[in-house]
Amino acid sequence: MRAVLFAILLLGVFSAARCAEGARSTAPLVQPVPRPAHLPDGEPNWTGFWTPIGGLLDKNFGPGATIPPVDPNAAGSQEGIPPHAALKSPYKERYERQLEAAREGKVLSDPPARCLPPGMPEMMVGVYGLEILQTAGQVTITSEWGPESRRIWTDGRKHPDPDDILPSYGGHSIGYWEGDVLIADTAYVRADVRLDESGLPHSANMRLKERFHSPKPGILVDEITIDDPMAYIAPWTITKRYRYRPELNLEEYVCEENNRNVGPNGEPVFKK
Amino acid sequence: MLGFLLSLVLSGPVMAHHSFAAFDGTKRLRLTGTVKTFQFTNPHSWIQLVVTTNDGRSEQWSIELLSPNVLLRSGWHRSSVKPGDRVTVLINPMRDGSKGGNLVAVTLANGQTLLGGAT
Repeated sequence: MRAVLFAILLLGVFSAARCAEGARSTAPLVQPVPRPAHLPDGEPNWTGFWTPIGGLLDKNFGPGATIPPVDPNAAGSQEGIPPHAALKSPYKERYERQLEAAREGKVLSDPPARCLPPGMPEMMVGVYGLEILQTAGQVTITSEWGPESRRIWTDGRKHPDPDDILPSYGGHSIGYWEGDVLIADTAYVRADVRLDESGLPHSANMRLKERFHSPKPGILVDEITIDDPMAYIAPWTITKRYRYRPELNLEEYVCEENNRNVGPNGEPVFKK
Repeated sequence: MLGFLLSLVLSGPVMAHHSFAAFDGTKRLRLTGTVKTFQFTNPHSWIQLVVTTNDGRSEQWSIELLSPNVLLRSGWHRSSVKPGDRVTVLINPMRDGSKGGNLVAVTLANGQTLLGGAT
């Protein structure tokens, strides 16, 4: 209830701010540099391009780069040991079959290799950059991967009735501002969307709770909690950190352009 | 604690648009050859490399790299590798032994080394 009241209050602030803006006909059209820390409506200003900290986009592959040492634990794409013990049956068994196949070099299912969207939460935890746009009542996040866009509605709306919505790759996200923190809740993610590259599963009833905040200028944190009592023994959280990169833009990424990683029946392949 | 472990897993060196399970990340193979094409394309870039075997036969290898979006931001250019260039590549080979791999590094004729994103 508090959240709803807060959202209504914010809407009011939005409208007031927009009217004030409209009255200033000489207002500059170009965003001033340095950009403001907050938008006129009071939201922290996160509009722009962000890249995951510690990921590929933080590395140098060009002149002067040093060849990394061989990683004896690198077995294809499976990094670390996923905590599948936290999974419940039958998700646990299904996931173990996938891991076993991957260890033998076989990929049972790889939807993004078929150019399907990574979906939630993988679009937030992948290696590509994110573009954030803030407009009245919504925060739009586009991942360069796919590319795929999601909208977090901050206009006070609720999740639709299950009978009135088709589950989607990105799901349906609603949120509200708690000071400078954006709280989001995502439902209706398709059951065939994996949570990460290893193929962690989830049920159709999964809810994703996100907490976006900026501990210091230029750094954004997204704490994503997977709340899925059907598939997992307990809720668990991924923390992802991003760096503001004003010198970069979201670039075009057309997965179908030269995709040599999918066979005629959608199976993962390597085309010579 | 569980959340911490998971954040390690999910922020690990996950690569790109498809699983790299077909490559053997624990092995490296070095090949010298002539570039037939450099496909600087999405979702991944490719070098088609013509290699002459010890017994004089010509073989073509398909070598996969990251997407141009990632490479262009980290020092690669469209002209970094050109058809006809003599290069040496270091790859994670295919597990099935076929003529392909994931590029760890390429050394150009001018001695410059660029990385391809593989481990």
